[in-house]
Amino acid sequence: MGEALELDGLTRRFGSITALDGLSFSAPRGQVVGFLGPNGAGKTTTMRAVFGLTDLDAGSVRWSGKAVGASERRRFGYMPEERGLYPAMLLGEQLRYLARLHGLSPRAASRSVAHWLERFELADRFDSRVDALSHGNQQRAQLAAALVHNPELLVLDEPLAGLDPAGIEAIGAVLLEQAHAGACVLFSSHQLDLVEDLCETVVIIDHGRLVAEGTVEGLATGGARRLVVRVEGDRTGNWTARLVGVQVSEVDRGAVRLVLEPGTDSDVVLRAALAAGKVTEFSLERRRLSEVFREAVG
Amino acid sequence: MIFLVRWVRGRRRRAAGIAGSPNDHELDAQFESTFAEEPTGGLVHRLRSSDVALVAEREIRERLRGRAFRVVTLLLLVVVAGATVIPAITKSTSTAEHVGVVAASKSEIVLVRSVGRAVGARVAVTRFSSPAAAERALRDGTIDLALVGESEILLDSPLSSTDTSARAELARTLSQVVGQERAYASAGLTPAQIAAVSSPRLVPLRSLQPAKPSSPGRSTALIGIILVFVMLTQYNTWTLIGVMEEKSSRVVEVLLAAIRPLQLLAGKVLGIGAVVLAQAGLVVAVALLLGAAVGSDLLTGAAPLVVVTSLLWLVLGYSFFCWVYAAAGSMAERQDQVQTLALPLGLPLIIGYILALTTLSSGSAPIWFQVLGYLPPTAPFAMPALVGLGAVSWWQVVISCIVTVTATVGVARLAAVVYRRAVLRTGRRVGLRELLNQPG
Repeated sequence: MGEALELDGLTRRFGSITALDGLSFSAPRGQVVGFLGPNGAGKTTTMRAVFGLTDLDAGSVRWSGKAVGASERRRFGYMPEERGLYPAMLLGEQLRYLARLHGLSPRAASRSVAHWLERFELADRFDSRVDALSHGNQQRAQLAAALVHNPELLVLDEPLAGLDPAGIEAIGAVLLEQAHAGACVLFSSHQLDLVEDLCETVVIIDHGRLVAEGTVEGLATGGARRLVVRVEGDRTGNWTARLVGVQVSEVDRGAVRLVLEPGTDSDVVLRAALAAGKVTEFSLERRRLSEVFREAVG
Repeated sequence: MIFLVRWVRGRRRRAAGIAGSPNDHELDAQFESTFAEEPTGGLVHRLRSSDVALVAEREIRERLRGRAFRVVTLLLLVVVAGATVIPAITKSTSTAEHVGVVAASKSEIVLVRSVGRAVGARVAVTRFSSPAAAERALRDGTIDLALVGESEILLDSPLSSTDTSARAELARTLSQVVGQERAYASAGLTPAQIAAVSSPRLVPLRSLQPAKPSSPGRSTALIGIILVFVMLTQYNTWTLIGVMEEKSSRVVEVLLAAIRPLQLLAGKVLGIGAVVLAQAGLVVAVALLLGAAVGSDLLTGAAPLVVVTSLLWLVLGYSFFCWVYAAAGSMAERQDQVQTLALPLGLPLIIGYILALTTLSSGSAPIWFQVLGYLPPTAPFAMPALVGLGAVSWWQVVISCIVTVTATVGVARLAAVVYRRAVLRTGRRVGLRELLNQPG
């Protein structure tokens, strides 16, 4: 599937602070894309820019090759970081209202509300005020608000924050389901393990600039090769001292993590380990997303 | 009203849908087919113009549901009903003067009635066979005064020289007229001559000053101004707090991801405006119906004109102030910020209100007060007062309307700019100057 959402050279300054500094990336349909970056990297500003909620000093947002305008945005769903529903309004009416604002007919809106309340196990809370719902249910309600008009693009700012494992699983399942149905799902999170499980692709930004982009698989296996070696009786990893072209990244209770420089043969390492004692573990390691992230944002 | 009907229909449909909800498979099929029926692009285009109506509809529904609205409406109805009914009841009991006549001829009874008409009092005549019987009735309080033949008029208590009550006027005039009748008879005039001299043609009175307005106009203006003040204060506060809450709850981000700021602002203002009109219409309708039922002065003289003027200026006043309050609400994020804004914004209203009340009770409108009638912030109070005092002509009312409408257009445009720039800015309160100087 081709790229659906394209951000091109987004720049946004607030006084002397540059929130977005020529940020460009794209996200395809049919995938859940993780949008990562440390606090203050510009994630929320980027998401707001997609919805025209912040003015841009430069750059453009395109959807299916067209500049995004009001009619495109109606087909997008947004879940802002700080949430946003009328606290005193009844849940069902509120979702119905949002569906109507996104262009659904009264009938379609009512059906869609019933569908999503059922899906999030909130059907019995139709007539509850939003502020009477538990935190987890408010989070589900907020996601239902973003989904109620069956959007083509879902932009979710920290949708998993503060949820219990069951809630994370339920919302994660919905995001995957939407992507499989053809939507483009872009979501930010600091829970990198969850992102690794949910996303095929990730985009990492820092200081308003793109620092890494690609499939989780590609990022995990890309870069320098890594080895984990365990030698019986060895707790310190001193046997690595004379190796050339190898860096020790971590020694953890006898498991030595090594980063091999380009051109270094893993056999050299194996021989040195065998010389030190009985080798109980010797494996090539994939990078965790958290390591990719740490490397990317320095 | 259309909104209300749509709301009720929507509730019924929803209730029906939930009571007999189809199983998941059916629901999904219906859901999919509904989406398939409605190509999104065309639909979006068709519904864009109704976004403002959707926002207004939500506003109306939420406002009507609120307890504050019901309590205030009930209070207004009680106050207006009281103000309409109580004067009418007290007026009808106080104006009937009971006059006893002793050994009177038919012509004397006719005379008592005509004197009653001349002094503007309704007169009920009771015949007594003896002066003693009339005295008893006076002491009991069943009659106010008694005419004993042509010789004397009996009262229960003496009249003071400053007493201008209907009883005093009736007693004095009756004493004079009966005396004259006796004088004419003793002078030997024939009944025809007596009739000729006792009904001379009156010389007309001409005043250099215009006539003072009737008191029904003034008292109606008083009630009108109080209602305009109460309602403007209530609805302005709704607008202010409503916008602030949308901003502080961040729901504005979700809404503005779908619609434009101006559509959201216009929908809110129109929705609350519709509630203003409905509430004012209800209050006026109840006042008029009650007024007609009890024979109130509300329907006489200048009063109907004052009612129309008050309604007109309620609408114009709301139209002018709502934008100011909405813009102010978009600059605030917390309750305490709203409170610091509410006082300076409310000052023109309070000043206009107090000056209108004091001018109305003084009975004449000085030039400076007439000027206030043309200034949009004070006109909603000054104009009904001026109309109640009969101090303005229709063309002056029209000019004041034009000034307010023109100013409202300007204020609305400025408010839209402030709202658009402020409503998404969170974290710290933004100053008005900073917003207006911002490019874009």
